Amino acid sequence: MRYAYFPGCSLSASAQDYDMSLKWVCRFLGIELQEVRDWVCCGASSAHATSHLLSVAIPAISLSHAEQSGFDQLTAPCLACLSRMKTANQQMGADQALKQKINDLLEDEYQGTVQVLHPLEVILKDVGLDSLGKGVQKRLSGLKVACYYGCVLTRPPKVCQFDNTEYPMSMDNILRSVGMETLDWAYKTECCGVSMTLTRADMVVHLAHKILRAAKEVGADVIAVCCPLCHANLDMRQNQIADRYGERFDIPVLYFTQFLGIVYGAYSRELGFHRLMVSPERALENYGIL
Amino acid sequence: MMKIELTEDTQKLSREIQSLTGENVNLCYQCRKCSIGCPAVYEMTLKPHEMMRAIQLGLEEEVFQSGTVWICLSCETCNTRCPQDINIVRVIDGLRELVMSGHVDYFNPHPEIPSMHRLFLKLVERYGRIYEMGLALILNLKMVDPFKDIDMAWPMLSRGKLKLLPHKSGGVEELRRVMSKIREIEGES
Repeated sequence: MRYAYFPGCSLSASAQDYDMSLKWVCRFLGIELQEVRDWVCCGASSAHATSHLLSVAIPAISLSHAEQSGFDQLTAPCLACLSRMKTANQQMGADQALKQKINDLLEDEYQGTVQVLHPLEVILKDVGLDSLGKGVQKRLSGLKVACYYGCVLTRPPKVCQFDNTEYPMSMDNILRSVGMETLDWAYKTECCGVSMTLTRADMVVHLAHKILRAAKEVGADVIAVCCPLCHANLDMRQNQIADRYGERFDIPVLYFTQFLGIVYGAYSRELGFHRLMVSPERALENYGIL
Repeated sequence: MMKIELTEDTQKLSREIQSLTGENVNLCYQCRKCSIGCPAVYEMTLKPHEMMRAIQLGLEEEVFQSGTVWICLSCETCNTRCPQDINIVRVIDGLRELVMSGHVDYFNPHPEIPSMHRLFLKLVERYGRIYEMGLALILNLKMVDPFKDIDMAWPMLSRGKLKLLPHKSGGVEELRRVMSKIREIEGES
């Protein structure tokens, strides 16, 4: 299947490891990604805090570009972009007056035919759990993974229409189908607070600490994530958490695509492992990977 | 028991919110599910369910001066769980819009947060993408805390996680036209 690819600002800068590993895995699984022509930032939390019209219009620009290029499906790996684009689609679909207002602003009219999906949805839909196990080259059995989904992959359900809202399992099921062991835990969808990362770092450190501690309590060796913003908080703030709370975790936080890449035989360098703050070396040393 | 008079004056804010967002806060019956699930509630002087009540009562000053609207993380937990299906995040966005557009002007205990939003959108309008390092640096200077998170700068740079120069999107001209048209439309209303 062919998808319009909306990398978003993070994957073009601080989260290149997600971009690299996602592209590797999609190539391996036969999913074709083509970057949206002249895409622009989704506006994230700043647009919807400022003006409702702006919060729908900004993502609609990139959606219209994807539609013009002939795509009816788009994938966005960042949860902020995903949520803004799904929300724009849902609101324009439910409110014809709003859709008209937006179309008066855009260069090319947007009909609303582009379905927005997270890569987890794409993999489940196009490859399916039964087929994912076929290409496995390396076994990571014994490694205990806590899958962290973040805030807006499943919330609000009306907009997201994906997975169980309060207790999602899509990432767990994908990783289990390639032979990995994932854990039950209570913080799968607890927000990491990333919208405050530049203004209230203290809140972010507090929330990330709670998530990391919950993962540690159930015995996680590593955490798997599906959003560059969750990743930034959980991976990069561990030193600050240790300074503030006197608790050092050193839990590696990897994108689910990095785990898939490893089991499918990619080199760690191709998956951007060298960009991680908390090195996964110790957690993975018994598996002959790094 | 306290008697509540619902006059034109006390209903002004809830009506304003309803016309701006389509959400009817009068449906709230104080079950507190929103506040129980809120990850940021520990930082709020007015908890989400208290804010809904304050809007019902038209306590505009309390609502805005609490700063709760800026502490909300927009994580959508409250929306998802509200038994009355009130989109609480949309209500909060409506309140934020009133501040950002200058319709209300109260003391804000967290001025750095709306400042961040303004700067974010300014950079998006200039480049069409967010320039992470520029945003962090300018914001630190504005907050008079130039070395905030400086401990993360070198580890990020050495791992190629920070782009020193901004990247301009090919769609920036269209984006600028859209943003300026919206300013025109909203300036008129």
